[in-house]
Amino acid sequence: MGGLQKKKYERGSATNYITRNRARKKLMLSLPDFRRLCILKGIYPHEPKHKKKVNKGSTAPRTFYLLKDIRFLLHEPIVSKFREYKIFVRKLRRAYGKTEWSAVERLKENKPAYKLDHIVKERYPTFIDALRDIDDALCMCFLFSTFARTGKCHVQTIQLCRRLTVEWMNYVIVSRSLRKVFLSIKGIYYQAEVMGQLITWLVPYQFSHDHPTDVDYRVMATFTELYTTLLGFVNFRLYQSLNLVYPPKLDSKAESELKEDDDEDYAMNSESYTEKLSALSSSLARVVSSEEEDAKLDEFPDEGEDMEKMEAREKEQKLLETQKKIFEGLKFFINREVPRESLAFVIRCFGGQVSWDKSVCIGSTYDVTDETITHQIVDRPNVDKQYMNRYYIQPQWVYDCVNAKMGLPVEDYFLGVTLPPHLSPFVEEKEGDYVPPEKLKIMALQRGEKPEEKRLAIMMMKKKEKYLYDKIMFGKKRKVREGNKLAAKRKAHDDAEKAKKKKARK
Amino acid sequence: MAARRRLKRVAASQPGFLGFKSPSDPTASVGSRRKRVNKNKKKNWSKYSDVNDVDEFLEDIRHQERTTGGLLSEKADDSLYFLDLGQPEKPQPQAETPQADEGRKRKGKASRPLRIDLILKPDSLVPPPKDILAYQQPNAKKLRRIAQKAEQLAAKGVVPRKQKLLLNRRPVDRTVKKAVAEANNNPDRDYYDIWGQEPKVLADPWYLQQTGKKLVKRPEKLNEKPSVLPAVEVIAPGGSYNPDFFSHQALLQEAHQVEVQKKKQEDKLERQLAINKQDRATEETNLREEVEGLVEEEENDDEELTPSKEDDEAALAAIAVTQKKTEKQIKKEKAEKLKEQQRLTSRRQTEQQQQLFQLRSIKASIRQQEEKTKSKQMRRRVKQEAQKAQPRRLGKLKFQAPDLDVQLSDELAGSLRQLKPEGSILKDRFKSFQKRNLIEPRERAKFKRKLKVKYVEKRAFKEIT
Repeated sequence: MGGLQKKKYERGSATNYITRNRARKKLMLSLPDFRRLCILKGIYPHEPKHKKKVNKGSTAPRTFYLLKDIRFLLHEPIVSKFREYKIFVRKLRRAYGKTEWSAVERLKENKPAYKLDHIVKERYPTFIDALRDIDDALCMCFLFSTFARTGKCHVQTIQLCRRLTVEWMNYVIVSRSLRKVFLSIKGIYYQAEVMGQLITWLVPYQFSHDHPTDVDYRVMATFTELYTTLLGFVNFRLYQSLNLVYPPKLDSKAESELKEDDDEDYAMNSESYTEKLSALSSSLARVVSSEEEDAKLDEFPDEGEDMEKMEAREKEQKLLETQKKIFEGLKFFINREVPRESLAFVIRCFGGQVSWDKSVCIGSTYDVTDETITHQIVDRPNVDKQYMNRYYIQPQWVYDCVNAKMGLPVEDYFLGVTLPPHLSPFVEEKEGDYVPPEKLKIMALQRGEKPEEKRLAIMMMKKKEKYLYDKIMFGKKRKVREGNKLAAKRKAHDDAEKAKKKKARK
Repeated sequence: MAARRRLKRVAASQPGFLGFKSPSDPTASVGSRRKRVNKNKKKNWSKYSDVNDVDEFLEDIRHQERTTGGLLSEKADDSLYFLDLGQPEKPQPQAETPQADEGRKRKGKASRPLRIDLILKPDSLVPPPKDILAYQQPNAKKLRRIAQKAEQLAAKGVVPRKQKLLLNRRPVDRTVKKAVAEANNNPDRDYYDIWGQEPKVLADPWYLQQTGKKLVKRPEKLNEKPSVLPAVEVIAPGGSYNPDFFSHQALLQEAHQVEVQKKKQEDKLERQLAINKQDRATEETNLREEVEGLVEEEENDDEELTPSKEDDEAALAAIAVTQKKTEKQIKKEKAEKLKEQQRLTSRRQTEQQQQLFQLRSIKASIRQQEEKTKSKQMRRRVKQEAQKAQPRRLGKLKFQAPDLDVQLSDELAGSLRQLKPEGSILKDRFKSFQKRNLIEPRERAKFKRKLKVKYVEKRAFKEIT
């Protein structure tokens, strides 16, 4: 045969992929450094469609990266920083070994450091891209801020995470963007709507947790490194959009209120300001101090839109506004045994005022003896001293109100009463699915009906009307009954089939 | 060949060796054998000229100057020679010498200079050259004029080179601890508006590209998310701290199913590995196996013969040779074949004709096939979509789905205070990253011993046992 012969594995998918070790050698980095670089730059391994072709005939499981991605990595300036750091570690170890302490000091002063700003800008070219990916960042930052400061991972990272999460919570409070809360056995799920994006994040409980051993801490720390940078920039931009001062400062009025003599009892001087901020009990300072105005929606008469749609939107907007002010005008007091931070966050998000006992944390604005407190949140079976004009309720009331988007009747949440189940706001029931009776009650309340009144009204109907009403109800119930019957039939059929198959196999 | 040449050299260099051409022959002089060299080239001036005689002469002169301070030929006779007039009278210096001698003897060795000092002293009689700078007297007028000129030039802006270099040297900025402040996880670090500012275009893009300072564009493919799954998956409603009965039961059912599957797998393994109790080896069977064929038994002769005969016949039948076919048989076979073909063609024709009346059933069968392919296509599409949500196989380890976080009915807490959190969010996040194909599944590295541990008993222990 004449001409150039085509050899196998020289073209096509075999040359588009590169194994992890080859990529590492091309970049001249160690494996942990390579992993760190890939995580920071957002380079992920790919599974090729035809593994045999890419692996040159063998099916051994290997990690493959796209060759173009690795070539792109070669241009990254922080690769040289990694190499410098490796050299720095080597020199430091030598100096320690030779006990040259002056050299150690000198080296430590000139420790090579890198910044990830350009990577954030490259990965998220616009602000909305960054907002879309902020879920992960929030989860990691909240998680790391609950770690103990033992030095296992950098204490600085933990402090930075704490600062960023506090800033985020303060933003959500000011912008009133919290929409859903769900208390689960894992942690607390929050959902907020920021600039049109729905952001869900998970916050662990404040109780101590044992750290699992099969989690790679270095990988998580690298993710956190990137995410703290991202979250910081996002926070800056969000604060800017609301005309708030960044880094956040307490409002001058609030600051004077909080000035106490025994500031030193709570925290060191350097940390007391951040602690006050993290208390979430006072408002933030603005760049241009203005009164909060209710922004009115501009009316843009669109050609394609009818009046109906515009009216519907206006109604929605009004509804949203009322939903943001569930706890407006109410004063809460949180007892010691209740998780303070979560409740303070939720209550303040919806306009309420909140305080706690002085010995719990810095930043309490009023005492338990204040007469104007409307609700006191308690989790014990009974309380010693009961004040007259305040309700004593369990913490679930707050969360359920938030999920129901209205103030629920307080009677079901009194002390010692068996609580109604805490339903998940994240589940959307379709028609025909099982809807728990509690949810039905809440939906009825939202519609504006009260259950007892309904029953009374039904009892008081005339016979003719009652007859008609029964017929309508029967029709409605029939649909549901039929649905159930079908489901049962299907289930029976499926079981029979399974039994048959088993018999045949045997 | 090298050895022969070596020998030749050695032999030729022996004294008294007579070569072919005798040394007394005038034509065989060494001078004519000298190679012709072009002395006009600069390279060859020093290479092929012999200056040893001149060098020796100059060395000699320098030696004379160093040791005697001048050329011997120019020296006066008195300095070189003296008239020997015999020994002078001794008694006069003897009166002085004893005291001087004693003094000197006591410190005799100390008064003499050290030999190393003498060695290190300059011992050349050539005087060192004059330092003309030491004799220079500053001319005030000249100096003034130089200074004025320098001032004038400086006013114009022309500065001597050294000054220019000094001025261009940037001052040293002593930034202490800049590494600490610059670190990425510094808790007090600044953030700025990263999306607001436009990047400053300092220089020509062509220049940037040529010097390698241009920022590389990020490939478009990297902006795609590696998985369609959302970042945070909210737990099912049964995972609430105070769940509704049915949703909790549903969650328990799911967890139960997972356990049932695991048990099934284990049972399957057990079944596959199970052996009958009767098949297990006992001592008796072991013994019988070992002793097989060794012990002689008479009843087995007849039984052995008959099986062997049957085997022979069967073998013979298999090796039977095929005999040739007769002409008749060949013709018959041909005729049969022809008939068969004719029959088939006629059958095909009638079938084609009859298909006209089978149109309806043909249509029905076609429709069925189409439906089958359509349903297969749909199933395949659904499977592909489901595959997208699955974690990809990215490395040696397969993805292990995390255990469902669920609390049993008796573990459920009635209130937030009594709640005991289940599951670790760190692990949950780690698994979520793996599920979304951001990292490959990893497990803790095991400690592998490179060298085997040798078991040695302590001496005390040995004594006891």
